[in-house]
Amino acid sequence: MGPLEGLAYGFTVAATPTNLLACFLGVLVGTIVGVLPGIGPVGAMALLLPSTFALHPATALIMLAGIYYGAMYGGSTTSILVNVPGEAGSVVTLLDGYQMTRKGRAGAALCIAAVGSFVAGTVGVVGIMLAAAWLADLAIRFGPPEYFAIALGGLLLLSRLSGGSVLHSFVMVAIGLALGTVGMDTVTALRRFTFGSIALSQGVDLVPVIMGLYGVAEVLLLAEQGVAKALIVSVRVKELLPTREEWRRSWAPIGRGSVVGFVTGLIPGPAAVLSTFIAYNLEKKVSRTPERFGHGAIEGVAAPESANNAATAGAMVPLLSLGIPFSPATAILLGALVIHGLQPGPLLIVQRPEVFWGFVASMYIGNFLLLILNLPLVGVFVSVLRLPQHVLATLVLLLCLVGAFSLSNSHLDLWILVLFGVFGYALRKLNVDASPLVVALVLGPMMEKTLRQSLFITQGSLVDMIARPLTLAILAIPVMALAVPPLLRLRRRPRTATAPVA
Amino acid sequence: MLERVVALVVLAVAGVYLRLALALPYGTTARPGPGFFPTLVGIFACVVGAGMMVAAFRAPMRARCAHAAASETAGRTRALSTVVVLVAFCALMPWLGYPIVAFGFVTVLLQRLGSSWRAAGIIGVVAAVVSFYVFGVLLDVPLPRGPWSS
Repeated sequence: MGPLEGLAYGFTVAATPTNLLACFLGVLVGTIVGVLPGIGPVGAMALLLPSTFALHPATALIMLAGIYYGAMYGGSTTSILVNVPGEAGSVVTLLDGYQMTRKGRAGAALCIAAVGSFVAGTVGVVGIMLAAAWLADLAIRFGPPEYFAIALGGLLLLSRLSGGSVLHSFVMVAIGLALGTVGMDTVTALRRFTFGSIALSQGVDLVPVIMGLYGVAEVLLLAEQGVAKALIVSVRVKELLPTREEWRRSWAPIGRGSVVGFVTGLIPGPAAVLSTFIAYNLEKKVSRTPERFGHGAIEGVAAPESANNAATAGAMVPLLSLGIPFSPATAILLGALVIHGLQPGPLLIVQRPEVFWGFVASMYIGNFLLLILNLPLVGVFVSVLRLPQHVLATLVLLLCLVGAFSLSNSHLDLWILVLFGVFGYALRKLNVDASPLVVALVLGPMMEKTLRQSLFITQGSLVDMIARPLTLAILAIPVMALAVPPLLRLRRRPRTATAPVA
Repeated sequence: MLERVVALVVLAVAGVYLRLALALPYGTTARPGPGFFPTLVGIFACVVGAGMMVAAFRAPMRARCAHAAASETAGRTRALSTVVVLVAFCALMPWLGYPIVAFGFVTVLLQRLGSSWRAAGIIGVVAAVVSFYVFGVLLDVPLPRGPWSS
């Protein structure tokens, strides 16, 4: 099935009443989650995962992904109107977005953010169609060594890009990998690190870990910060239209932001956040008037808002074509697919085309729904901010607890949730990013399986395992990413040291 | 100081994990056993822990603030009380059942975070009843009902 044929088939799947409703609910919840500071898309997806168990896999995926990209739309609203990022991907937007609000151009900023998100989301979906299908064709030739190399390379790259110290990221990776070894060994059925607990034989479930690290930790931080009331600016529908000059200034940044975002999304790491910084800096560099940035330049809203939406689409490519998630959000989508008995990877397109193409087509529909929802209803979404935050936080916490319990009706999941909630809170206080832990927990069992298979195939020869053209090419990327920056620093150091003498 | 404590804890936990991993059957490199991958992870964790230790001891000690601001202490107390209420929820749910524990959880937490007892109690009742109905009745999650269920 070619991309266009597949997309046409996908629309027949995505346009069924159930899937349309799932898409609408997903983007609605996503927008609300994006608007509310403190509650991120990852926590919301983890929270709603148990409620998708009874749904068709395509419907579940459509709803959960809707939350993810919907949050990117919603996050800009809070950044522009309140000067507080609704979620991490909207931090850069507030630099110019809030300045535009102060100048009375909030409506134009919101409109450009929504249109930019729509264009970027659509460009991203075209990217998924082309790249995922191509990569899946290539991935059919991959054996266990290549998959091991991708997982290892992904973790190494993620450690480099997740921000902060590489050593801290490695600690997170080690914890994630160690957690992934808890439970029954799939080959010998030997119980490892279970300390006699039967419940632990099933391993450590991803969802309570994510809910704890992202949901509970966020609520603990909210509790610590106390109740704060936001000063909310109201915007009328007629104020939403940008001027002709603002449109003219925005088209190119939207285009560049879309491409930058999609490419960044393919790389392991916090793509949605990273892409906004790259897109913003790029616009500043190419602008003839960079001094306007930070003082209400519309390009400073258009580029990052386009980039974060395109990045969410880019992040879907490795998940759908290789079955490998490079971010906590895509890890949850992977979890949803596995729970529904699907094996994400290159064969997904061939074996379950209704899931793959239905999901891709739903992203077109979802982006269109978001455009309709976000512009006229901006006032309604902003009014969500008037809810007392401590009430919302308490109710979210209760939902986390019931959601974690309902995963496998186990009290152990509740304790895991609380434990990782406290751990996630401590990590935030120490400024350590938790995403390498989550990705390592997902990739760990796959790494172990593929490593054991590879060594079995090559009769224990590591050289034979690595000396395959594809494996070498895959491993070269993270090795270069890790080795080149320190080498460049080393080369520069003597020059700076001798500079005063010269 | 904090960095050194964290590095020490990481190294100690990594050491215990490696010790447990070494007790598992390792197999051979051609036929790796269930202990093969955990051993590699354990070695990696110990190396990273040692690296943290070196980095922490090479970095200059930062002066510790003698007195935390009152607002900071109050914030930490609120976060700590949230953790205590969460732990109480997990510990009491099997004995008292979900509805009562959910009511107590929401009421106490809201009051601790700034609501009046009356408002907290009303929200507590509504949250416990609605969540029990949605999850326990509509979605069939076997939430513990406590000693009062027959």
